[in-house]
Amino acid sequence: MAVAQSVPAESNWIPSTCGMCLHGCGIRVQVRDGVALKIEGDPTNPDNLGKLCPKGNAGLSRLYDSTRVLKPMKRTNPRKGPGIDPKWVEISWDEAYGTVARELGKVRADDPRKLLCAIGDFQRILLWGWPAVFGSPNFFTSLGNYCGGSYHPVNGSVDGSFAAINDYDRCNYWIQIGSGDGFSSHLHLSGSAKRMADARMRGMRVVTLDPRMSVAAAKADEWIPTLPGTDRAFVLGMAHVLIHELKQYDREFLRDRTNAPYLVKEDGYLLRDDEGRAMVWDMQLAAPQPWNAAAPADMALEGAYEFAGMRVRTGFQVWADQLRDHTPERMSEICTVSAETIRRIAREFVEAAQIGATVEIEGKTYPFRPAALNYYRGSQSHANGLFDNLTYKMFNMLVGNIDVPGGHLGVPLDHRGFFIHEGEDGVLKPEPHQLHPAPPFKYPPDSTHLMEWFPIGFDAGQLNTETLLEPERFGLNYSPEVMLMYHSNPLWNLPETDKVEKIMARMKFVVAIDIQRTESTEWADVFLPDHTYLESYLLNCLEPPAVTGHSLRQPVVEPVGDTKDAYEILTEIAERLGFRDDWNDLLNVVTGFTANPKYLLDPEKRYGVEELWDRYARSIYGDDKGLDWFKEHGHAVRYRTPEETYMPYGKLRIPFYFEFIKRLGDEMQQKFEQVGMKDWPLDNYQPLPFWKNSQVIEDGKAGYRFYAITFKESLHTFADTVVMPWLSEVSEKDAIHGGILVNPITAENLGIQTGSRIRLTSPAGSIEGQAQVVEGIHPEVFGVSNAITRHFVTNDRQKQRGSHFNRLLTGSMRYTDSATGGLESSARVRVEKI
Amino acid sequence: MARLGMVIDLKRCIGCNACTLACKQENGTPEGVHYARVITREVGTYPKTRRTFLPVLCNHCDDAPCAQACPSGATWIRNDGLVMVEREKCIGCRACAVACPYMNRHFMEKGLLEHGYSTDGLSPYEAIKFAEFEEGTMTKCTLCGHRVDQGLEPACVITCPTDARIFGDLEPEDGKLQKLIRERKGWTLLPECNTKPSVFYLDD
Repeated sequence: MAVAQSVPAESNWIPSTCGMCLHGCGIRVQVRDGVALKIEGDPTNPDNLGKLCPKGNAGLSRLYDSTRVLKPMKRTNPRKGPGIDPKWVEISWDEAYGTVARELGKVRADDPRKLLCAIGDFQRILLWGWPAVFGSPNFFTSLGNYCGGSYHPVNGSVDGSFAAINDYDRCNYWIQIGSGDGFSSHLHLSGSAKRMADARMRGMRVVTLDPRMSVAAAKADEWIPTLPGTDRAFVLGMAHVLIHELKQYDREFLRDRTNAPYLVKEDGYLLRDDEGRAMVWDMQLAAPQPWNAAAPADMALEGAYEFAGMRVRTGFQVWADQLRDHTPERMSEICTVSAETIRRIAREFVEAAQIGATVEIEGKTYPFRPAALNYYRGSQSHANGLFDNLTYKMFNMLVGNIDVPGGHLGVPLDHRGFFIHEGEDGVLKPEPHQLHPAPPFKYPPDSTHLMEWFPIGFDAGQLNTETLLEPERFGLNYSPEVMLMYHSNPLWNLPETDKVEKIMARMKFVVAIDIQRTESTEWADVFLPDHTYLESYLLNCLEPPAVTGHSLRQPVVEPVGDTKDAYEILTEIAERLGFRDDWNDLLNVVTGFTANPKYLLDPEKRYGVEELWDRYARSIYGDDKGLDWFKEHGHAVRYRTPEETYMPYGKLRIPFYFEFIKRLGDEMQQKFEQVGMKDWPLDNYQPLPFWKNSQVIEDGKAGYRFYAITFKESLHTFADTVVMPWLSEVSEKDAIHGGILVNPITAENLGIQTGSRIRLTSPAGSIEGQAQVVEGIHPEVFGVSNAITRHFVTNDRQKQRGSHFNRLLTGSMRYTDSATGGLESSARVRVEKI
Repeated sequence: MARLGMVIDLKRCIGCNACTLACKQENGTPEGVHYARVITREVGTYPKTRRTFLPVLCNHCDDAPCAQACPSGATWIRNDGLVMVEREKCIGCRACAVACPYMNRHFMEKGLLEHGYSTDGLSPYEAIKFAEFEEGTMTKCTLCGHRVDQGLEPACVITCPTDARIFGDLEPEDGKLQKLIRERKGWTLLPECNTKPSVFYLDD
């Protein structure tokens, strides 16, 4: 076997890449006599600087977990359902492949859309296109959307980035909302935690908004508890203070580096001249001028003007007018933070931003804005997530801190950087659909998650729970019959588990590619076991803050069992189904080989996993840096240069007035009208964010008095590591993972003590669990740690606690952002003691 | 002569337990045994509340009550101050565990080494690591003496994402540890026990 050559007999340190979460810190693994003995951070990798988070430190316990599936298996019990033993028996790879090819082949010949795919291995993102080559557009998982359904599209629309983070090196005032960045989760935790600690030690102030005492809140200079899904109100209130009370904002930045001065007509579209150029108001001429004809000093940022019988306002003025009634007092009623606090934080923030300051870095002068607002899942994974994300970005824009030293920096998906293309009117071209091109509108839709109806967005997998059970409402004219799951656990990650079970029960055949049995793989007919990250190859680069470049995952030991690399598995299935040529063609596109034809895969040839990554490495780094070079050196990671980090798009403007979102909404409305579908919600296609109640707020009026949220901290990824005994043994000892968190005031009112059995019921479903009374949670909120949400474990040393939070969530459009497809990740609940 | 020790900066620490797990994999301890761990507590009342994180490990006390309590001479103190247990001499009386006010002594109960963390027996990794232990004897943090002897820092130190753990020699007055202790008013756990710990803490 090829792997053996890279595994020496004596003790040795082998460089590789962590696979315990999606990001991939640099590691080195000590191996003696073929046994892996220790994983450490790779000290030569500037990403994580030799450090590792607890998950990375627990990798050996996954490699050697005896509950791993080490041989292909088939179920012998035809009955499927929760708690029903599949009666697995081991089979040969040939038999497994034969069965899979036969069952998938039947469906492919009939209608390939009848395959439902759930893919969740984010590091192997280059393999995500496999279902598309098969012929299925379907995405049966909440992965990605659960956290970033609205986040990624807005990052892509603002500066072509995938994620974002404040400038650890230079920020002095850091507002953190609903995020674990630098403290417990998100972008490359171990390196980020180091950068955050260094920043705090040099005096950076941290203010954290969170319904719960997260690590970020515990370590902050100030914790401000809020209600879930209302953080936007807090920030809109601060924007009101900056614009209408303090009148402090970065006029130069807004005028010269955004489209805020572009004139907006009453119909919401930009004023354009005959040549289609966006117009600004020239104060010298007292008339509109094309954006690139007016001198910057003459360009009005604010104001309403009359022109040719029309009233026009600058984009900035439109938002300012919209925010006039978003007073701290009104916003305070929504988010429960006092108006005084909203005003104080706004003032502190704008003072710390040092509007007008500059800094010289490596001989180049940049604006210096050392105050920034950072945010992630908790703050914006809500039914109005588009507005949440736009608000946070635009609040940062008010102080001119986007992509400048000290400010709020875009983080690309891949080291080759941002999507930087000039769009209309000297503005960066928005890239709201980052993982694949936006599919054209289609009715009836092809995809069960209705991707053809979301020109902005990720992939709204939660909608499957509605579309597959009521297909006629959406014009879906076929019914999926087979399912392929690859490191994905839809029975855990999708909302409304009962509905997901109904859908899975309809499948005539299910194949799972995974490492361990999960809630979902127990419904499989055939289980194909994958290598772990310590047994496989991958050239990895995902969302690296501060650094750039790939690091190699390589086998450090012989595979523990008769497992195979997921790439090999998917390629073999493609081969048996007769579309290996198309699979190669797709890999050519996603690897970028099409732009670098020297490395193109020959459709007629089958490539092994080492050959694939060798080509990929050489196509990026040159022929002298193929797989062999990476095997020895481990990585090609380096710090991003200032030019790559700060304003990488040069003089292009970024959008402040999101005309393209409004335009897409109007186009969608026309398209839906043409096909006679009139009730599809399109109300979130707005060019600017404002406050509006979500369904969650409405549910509160219907008797669901409390909120429920879920959260994770550094010991675990959301679901995957919860079944690892090394990690769960530690998390079980921490009170925050001890049960459903409730504030003492609320507990007393409801007669609940730590240990009481309680039931939380949302409009979607209910969960039960043990109450854990803690001070660190908003009195109106119940918190469910991810560590207690798994409802199936294979290791009998492990407790099965099963307060499966996602049952409380709803998959329908009423709980989905109508523009991005982002799901609502909090719920309103009734609580009772049982 | 050196006195090896550690300063733990609670301002940097985020309670992530990377130390707990790095120690786990370095030493390969069986289920329930953690030489390094993090004690998390909640203080105050809502909304003026905090979570505090206190990473703990053997304090390698200069005046170690465990060594005084050991009747068999199994517990001994190296020249560099590390408090060690010699497995062959340990009679498993647990006097040291009673004497240690920090609960940093771990007894290898009977049967503990028969199973690993997984359902079935020992993994290849555990088979190697567990050979270092013996049921019926005491075990403890050695401040990674086996690493220190190779010129390496303890496992919990190198992995700490926030650089909260600073390892070194406490002897030199102008050394980095003493400097930090002076400047940030370092303190030790349970000073009333007069154990003279070699692990110091800096305030959050």
